[in-house]
Amino acid sequence: MRMLPLVAALFPAVVVVLTLATATRAEEPAASASAREAAAAVLDMLGGDDADLRALALDRVRHGLRGTWFTRELAALLPRQTPAEQPSLLRALADRGDAAAAAAARPLAKAGDAAVRVAAISLLGRLGDAADVPVLVSGMADGGQIQAAARRGLLEIHGPEAEKALRAAAAAANRAHQAALIDILTERRDRASLPLFVAAVDGDPAVRPAAMRALARFGGAAEIDAMARSYLQASGDERRAAEQAIVTVCTSGAQAPAAATALVKGFAASDQAAQDSLLPVLARVGGPEVMAIVDGMLANPTARQRGLAALVRWPDAAVKERLLALHAETADPAEKQIVLNALIRIAPLPDNKLDDSQRLSLLQQTLNLCERDADRARVIERANAIRTFEAFQFVVAALDDPALSEAACRSVVELAHHRKLRDAHKAEFVAALDKVLAATKTEELLERAARYKGGKTWDRTQKN
Amino acid sequence: MATNQIGIDQFFVSLAGFDWGADASFLAAIDALVVAAAGDPDRSRDLERRFNAVLAADTSRAAKEYACRRLCLIGTTASVPGLAALLGEPEHSHMARFALERIDAAEAAEALREAVGHLSGKLRIGMISSLAARRDAAAVPVLAPLVRAGEPELASAATFALGRIGTTEAAAALAAADDHTSPIADVVFDARISCAEQMLADGDRPAAQAVYRSLVAAGEVGPDSRRERAARFAARSGLIDALDDT
Repeated sequence: MRMLPLVAALFPAVVVVLTLATATRAEEPAASASAREAAAAVLDMLGGDDADLRALALDRVRHGLRGTWFTRELAALLPRQTPAEQPSLLRALADRGDAAAAAAARPLAKAGDAAVRVAAISLLGRLGDAADVPVLVSGMADGGQIQAAARRGLLEIHGPEAEKALRAAAAAANRAHQAALIDILTERRDRASLPLFVAAVDGDPAVRPAAMRALARFGGAAEIDAMARSYLQASGDERRAAEQAIVTVCTSGAQAPAAATALVKGFAASDQAAQDSLLPVLARVGGPEVMAIVDGMLANPTARQRGLAALVRWPDAAVKERLLALHAETADPAEKQIVLNALIRIAPLPDNKLDDSQRLSLLQQTLNLCERDADRARVIERANAIRTFEAFQFVVAALDDPALSEAACRSVVELAHHRKLRDAHKAEFVAALDKVLAATKTEELLERAARYKGGKTWDRTQKN
Repeated sequence: MATNQIGIDQFFVSLAGFDWGADASFLAAIDALVVAAAGDPDRSRDLERRFNAVLAADTSRAAKEYACRRLCLIGTTASVPGLAALLGEPEHSHMARFALERIDAAEAAEALREAVGHLSGKLRIGMISSLAARRDAAAVPVLAPLVRAGEPELASAATFALGRIGTTEAAAALAAADDHTSPIADVVFDARISCAEQMLADGDRPAAQAVYRSLVAAGEVGPDSRRERAARFAARSGLIDALDDT
């Protein structure tokens, strides 16, 4: 190699490095003498104590001197750098994007200075391969930035073999890591991990919620049995989350009808105790098949209460005629109340089953069925979910009724929150807000009514 | 055709009598003629002749300025004498330069170089600025002596122009003028960097490397002021870019 005299004069420390470290692979085109001189200058600046020149050198590491030959020279420099210098070079090498840097980062990712490990782990996440998955997984055991870098790395590491290695790591991981790895596979949208997710829902309770989160994203009819098993094993918050996961799979996406059918089949094949537990989930999924089950329960005196409870949880207003008929036919006050509660809940649901006028009409029908002021007040409050002038008129009519006034105030204020509706009927809203200001003693309602009347907005986040 | 000719004649009669504040609607029609003449040498030469007549006549500054702006687009060697004649007139010098900078003819550069020799003050600096804009390599012998002129403003303009021209000869002139004790030392440094960048942009990597090497070497022995550190940074950065042929 011909060494340019100026380089030798200006960067003497680098001459040796260049001589030793510019060996390139046979298949690579040899770097020109000019490029080698530039490399020498960059290496010299990296080793110097001038912060500006180091920054310049790192910029060239990122964006200049293309070729694996230079990546290898930089990698060879890493072990000679201090822990204070290594992170910036590792970050620059990661940005450079040449996988040839990964080998030098591997030992630094495993142990040593925390900042160096973070940078080395980040580099492996971007440039590493399947072989680096175990190192990143072990980084998950550390706290703080190392764990965060390892997690990011496991999300970024690419290639089909990397995903395979990640799945193997998740399958073999202890309970502490497995949940996190399942979340990572979920975030990577790795559908090939479905068998792993299914296996995990039958496993450790600490891992189950993560597996259910994954199945909520990728599960279908084939996974419903496993999800139901997980739901039945869970309790408290985990059960609520599991219920939501099953409902998501059975109501969203192309596979939803098949998943709902699978859920019904699983329910039918379950014992009584499991059916009792699964019924609320079925009720939230809704649909004709579930309605047939509920109908059977309503016709059976011993199961009727469970059937009614299911109707109360129905996800949409498709059940309204059934509820109105039940309210008309039953003489049992407790049953009437359950049905009334269900009607109050479903009437204004934005479920695409009813349009705004039909929803308001159902609320008006429900209001006529109420015998207690408390129920009437709930109807008036539910009306604010229907953002129309007709709904506004419906609640305004209740402002003068002392028993319903506070509920009406809340609904008027809530409807007034929607500027488009409020501005389209300004005079009517101002008059109603004046009534609210005169009637309510609730501080928040007073503040909101005054702001809306003055054309101002109100920040809901203030509420908390 | 005859009607069109009468219309064009009328537009240029209007231009000859035009001044700022008057009805300028006919200018749009002339603009349309200029656009339509693109690719038609006969029509283009006819319009050029008419604009040159406006420059030569006793017309307003507004009319001459408009003519200069259009000559930027269609001017040729034929326009150079008329424009050159205006270079010494403070009212018209700027717009005449504006046109000469852009006319693709060696005579246009020649006129600017000649004007450097006989003008003074701001008008002279203007000529230098236009030569820089043209990156006129032939101007180096004219500009090089001015770098050491007693007037800092003139010396700075010539220095900047040499940097912009970016030829080996310009680089040599700047290197010869590089003196830490000069009142325009910073301007010379910036011009040398600019010169090297220009060489690199033109694909003359060895020439750019030579300039950067010289600047790096000079920076190693210079004082360690903030300015010097910035200069070292710029020189090294440029050298690496010039060396990096990957």
